Amino acid sequence: MEASLERKYSFDVVRWFTIMAVVYLVVGAAVGVYIAAELAWPALNFDNPYISFGRLRPVHTNAVIFAFGGCTLMATAFYTVQRTCGVRLWSDKMAWFTFWGWNAVIALAVITLPLGFTQSKEYAELEWPIDILIAVVWLSFTINFIMTIAIRKSSHIYVSNWFFLGMMVMIVYLHVVNSLAIPVGLFKSYSIFSGVQDAMIQWWWGHNAVGFYLTAGFLGIMYYFVPKQAGRPIYSYRLSVIHFWALMFGYVWLGAHHLQYTALPDWTGSLGAAVSIAMIIPSWGGAVNGMMTLSGAWDRLRTDYVLRFLIIALAFYAMSTFEGPVMSLKTVNALSHYTDWTIGHVHSGALGWVAGISIGAIYHLMTRLYHTEMYSVRLINFHFWTATIGTVIYIVAMWVSGIMQGLMWRAYDEYGTLAYTFVESVDAMHPYYAMRTVGGAIFLFGAIVMLFNILMTVRKSVSEGSLKQARAVPAPA
Amino acid sequence: MSRLSEYLQTDWQAMTTNDWIGTILTVVIFLLMVGAYFYVFRPKNREKLEAMKHIPFEEDKEHNGDSHGRK
Repeated sequence: MEASLERKYSFDVVRWFTIMAVVYLVVGAAVGVYIAAELAWPALNFDNPYISFGRLRPVHTNAVIFAFGGCTLMATAFYTVQRTCGVRLWSDKMAWFTFWGWNAVIALAVITLPLGFTQSKEYAELEWPIDILIAVVWLSFTINFIMTIAIRKSSHIYVSNWFFLGMMVMIVYLHVVNSLAIPVGLFKSYSIFSGVQDAMIQWWWGHNAVGFYLTAGFLGIMYYFVPKQAGRPIYSYRLSVIHFWALMFGYVWLGAHHLQYTALPDWTGSLGAAVSIAMIIPSWGGAVNGMMTLSGAWDRLRTDYVLRFLIIALAFYAMSTFEGPVMSLKTVNALSHYTDWTIGHVHSGALGWVAGISIGAIYHLMTRLYHTEMYSVRLINFHFWTATIGTVIYIVAMWVSGIMQGLMWRAYDEYGTLAYTFVESVDAMHPYYAMRTVGGAIFLFGAIVMLFNILMTVRKSVSEGSLKQARAVPAPA
Repeated sequence: MSRLSEYLQTDWQAMTTNDWIGTILTVVIFLLMVGAYFYVFRPKNREKLEAMKHIPFEEDKEHNGDSHGRK
């Protein structure tokens, strides 16, 4: 059946985005492992500014969030909007512009960040000319998606498209406002915001990049790929509608919880924390909705490794959407903020949820886009275990390290003086930093295995001529 | 700030236009949310909404004739 769709739909651009997503997963994770090793063994800086932690850290975050995550979102959004609307992409040319434009942004990030060109805004480090390019490319992605929905054959817009659309609209708004800056040269600009307003805008962007890009977008993936892989419709469509609107309404309020105990008015942090706690309900509703899709067919998890990735990702989604709100509470935040606990939390979401759901969706896509079985199912199974074990080692190391860090920083003796110097706390972190590097390396090894498996599947498809044959099948009416 | 009335006290005279716009928008969006909950969980709408869950399988069904919508 998929073969007959080859001429009906625009799959070439989806194939390229899919392959590039896996390439960027390996690159981003490799840089992450290297900088994790630098923190454990600082000699790895080699006194070279271009590979120092400060410059490579944004390379890592941009590579995994925008290169890997972005290519995954674009591949899956372009695939699912066609499949659920029953029409070809509105514009193939615009889709290719999105592909080349997005990859140009990634190439520019890899060049400029190690050279030290940065706006110093977290997850928005790139300088103003690249910010303009990002806005143009993202708008091309958004317009093409909206226009494809506009010309759809189905009467209803399936919920996965709502999540993708919510992400697209909000990211335009967030990216443009957060990037407003006054250029003083081709590679230097200053934010138009200053002081506490700048901090608030930064975290309004920062948390919503998590909420709309890394959550809503990947929930769009979940609502299409979990039912498709399980071969059963989503457990409750009504719950998915509530999940969507509650997420759209709630997420925009949360940014202030990143700025507890700062110059930001006290009430804004409390409001951010209160809405964060309220967000547990829709988030868990969504996670349960995804998991319960397997209700009555749990045995599939024994044999279907792709489904395992998707379901374990939902478990991590539930875990991190509980942990985040707890960390936003002032009493917990007093201990957790500025410590490695935050890094552990972020990676349980990034490795467990975002990477897990993406990897599952990519494996699902590969067999349908190349019209052949995966080169090795055993390697998918191997990848599942390396990804899961690597993630668990990483986050456990950071949880232990972070809580210890927080306790050491605020311990004081009977005279009211600090019990530990900062250097003592850094020294105590060493075993956990080494452990984090090991966890990351295991995850990276799994990603390399995935890339090998993906490339061998493409090769298999070419040698079998399955893609060529599929292209020869007439398109259905 | 031990009494609830003190905690909830608001200086209405100090509210700027921006404060009013933000407040009104928030209340309106909150009411829309309540409306969405009512619409979605109204028993009358159950069948109509739940029917949409089959959309990802419609194409498979058209071509394969599989009533379960499996590939």
